Amino acid sequence: MSPTRREMLEAGWKVGSGLLVVAAGWTSFEALKPLADVGGGGLLPLLPPDAYPEGSATFVREGRFFVTRAKEELFAVSQKCPHLGCAVPFCEASGKFECPCHGSVYNLAGEWISGPAPRGMDKHPLQVVDGRVVVNTAILEQGAPLGSRVYDTPDRGGSCAPAAEG
Amino acid sequence: MPDSSAPGSSRSWRTRVQESAVYRSIVRTPSLDSPRGRAQRAFGNVFLHVYPVRVPRALLRFRSTWRLGFISTVLYAILLITGVYLMFFYTPAVSMAYGDMQQLRTQVGFGQLIRNVHRWGAHLMVLAVVFHLVRVFVDGAYKAPRQFNWVIGVALLVVTLAYSFTGYLLPWDQLAYWAVTVGSDLVQYAPGVGGWLRNFLLGGSTIGQSALLRFYVIHVAVLTAAFFAIMAVHLWRLRKDGLAVGDPDVARDVTERATEAVRVPQAPVPADARWLADGRRVLGVVETDEGPGHVRQPEDEVFAWPHLLIRHQVVALAVTALVLALGIAFEAPLRELANPNLTPEPSKAPWYFVGLQELLAHFDPLVAGVLAPGMLVAALVLLPYVDRNPSRRPEHRRVALTLFWLIFGALAVLTVIGALFRGPGWGFVLPWEHLYFEP
Repeated sequence: MSPTRREMLEAGWKVGSGLLVVAAGWTSFEALKPLADVGGGGLLPLLPPDAYPEGSATFVREGRFFVTRAKEELFAVSQKCPHLGCAVPFCEASGKFECPCHGSVYNLAGEWISGPAPRGMDKHPLQVVDGRVVVNTAILEQGAPLGSRVYDTPDRGGSCAPAAEG
Repeated sequence: MPDSSAPGSSRSWRTRVQESAVYRSIVRTPSLDSPRGRAQRAFGNVFLHVYPVRVPRALLRFRSTWRLGFISTVLYAILLITGVYLMFFYTPAVSMAYGDMQQLRTQVGFGQLIRNVHRWGAHLMVLAVVFHLVRVFVDGAYKAPRQFNWVIGVALLVVTLAYSFTGYLLPWDQLAYWAVTVGSDLVQYAPGVGGWLRNFLLGGSTIGQSALLRFYVIHVAVLTAAFFAIMAVHLWRLRKDGLAVGDPDVARDVTERATEAVRVPQAPVPADARWLADGRRVLGVVETDEGPGHVRQPEDEVFAWPHLLIRHQVVALAVTALVLALGIAFEAPLRELANPNLTPEPSKAPWYFVGLQELLAHFDPLVAGVLAPGMLVAALVLLPYVDRNPSRRPEHRRVALTLFWLIFGALAVLTVIGALFRGPGWGFVLPWEHLYFEP
């Protein structure tokens, strides 16, 4: 049975309105989706490896990461806490990363020690090219899962959290 | 010619103006001596028309509603006015926003006061809206026929929180930057779409220029449009569904009575007038001294103008005075310029989200940051459809009331602990030893 003219018109305005909504949604989405992170990183040449001694964490402001050395291995640990995005400072007294927001603690390699974070700190790939440390800030590798720690350094005893509650 | 030019004319200039053709073209002043005139006063005026002509007498008692919905509306009006004022001095650019805040503080006349009032008014509005929700729940006012208006109310609560949260970023100081960092990173724990959704909201992977501009546009334009549209429905439904005030057993709802009023009064039908029984009614020949309005029990109702209006006016003045006093007494905080490399100790979300942050310290982020708030909003939306118990009396609603107070109490406790008892590293700190709280 072919539809009547009335049925055609009725379906027509509904389909038309639906298309309008879809078009409005699509154009808004295309317009508002985040622009590609242009210039969001690249190869960042740093100092020679000797400038980063064992147990140290050197902050690199341009890339917002730390270059650390634990058990003779170099790491480029992103400053952003994988929990809720706070900037994690390095605590010299304890030799660990201690997040001020919710108290997550990580070792020099960014591996999770304690606190509410879902994984270890994220890292950038790091290479030594022509005697210089080069960090690729365009790539951010997810931190190690909880409970898999291999780069623990000796405990320095101190802490940067004043009111330790446990 | 009337004898108005006679010496000692009793017609003052005011009467003359009011009787002039121009004045009467603008204001149709009815005679206020008659009930009809007073009713016209309300429905003949586009602004007063929001009010019903008559309201239940019980509504005049302050404690019938605690005026919480009205107080929220007054606070919104204050926020709208102070917000427009602030827009004249604010540029939503990372390089300028913080400087504008300082300029507002030091160089703009009453600039700091306006900002204080905007800040405290916003906090008070969140409080007022939450208390409004509590009042409506406790009174069972969300029950039929008002289920949908409750859902609309939940939408307005979400809009209010979104307003407050987006506004929080705009000063671009350390407090703003880190509170919004923590708040928006909660979103990325939503399974599947979380990370993408967060980046869409921020216009990038970090809080920067595009996030500031997005929050600004959402704050001043998108939410305002949404608010007016939703608020219109809220008020419209309030008028259509009627008010739930007074003792549910003694005074039945206005709606019920309004429905009854539509029915034709049971007039004595002459025994020989059997032709009336077919459903047709000839009202003109019914002999009765009671008009159709009789069933509405006029002694239970009063004119909204002036009785309710004058009370609203007093509440509006009191709320304005309170916010102004707060604005004079307490400065809105402004910390140092936002610094993405330095997280201040401690970093707290805005106070109404700090309960969530406290929850996050104990549970997995997916549970505390996404499931808990998501289920809370879902429960609020579904509540009037799940709770089919028609009674509004507390003794018939023990389970619902107990559950509600348990959840509300837990949220309140979490908020108080997070806001007042937490210090650096989210460690436990007694507030009388050191208070880490900036509203």
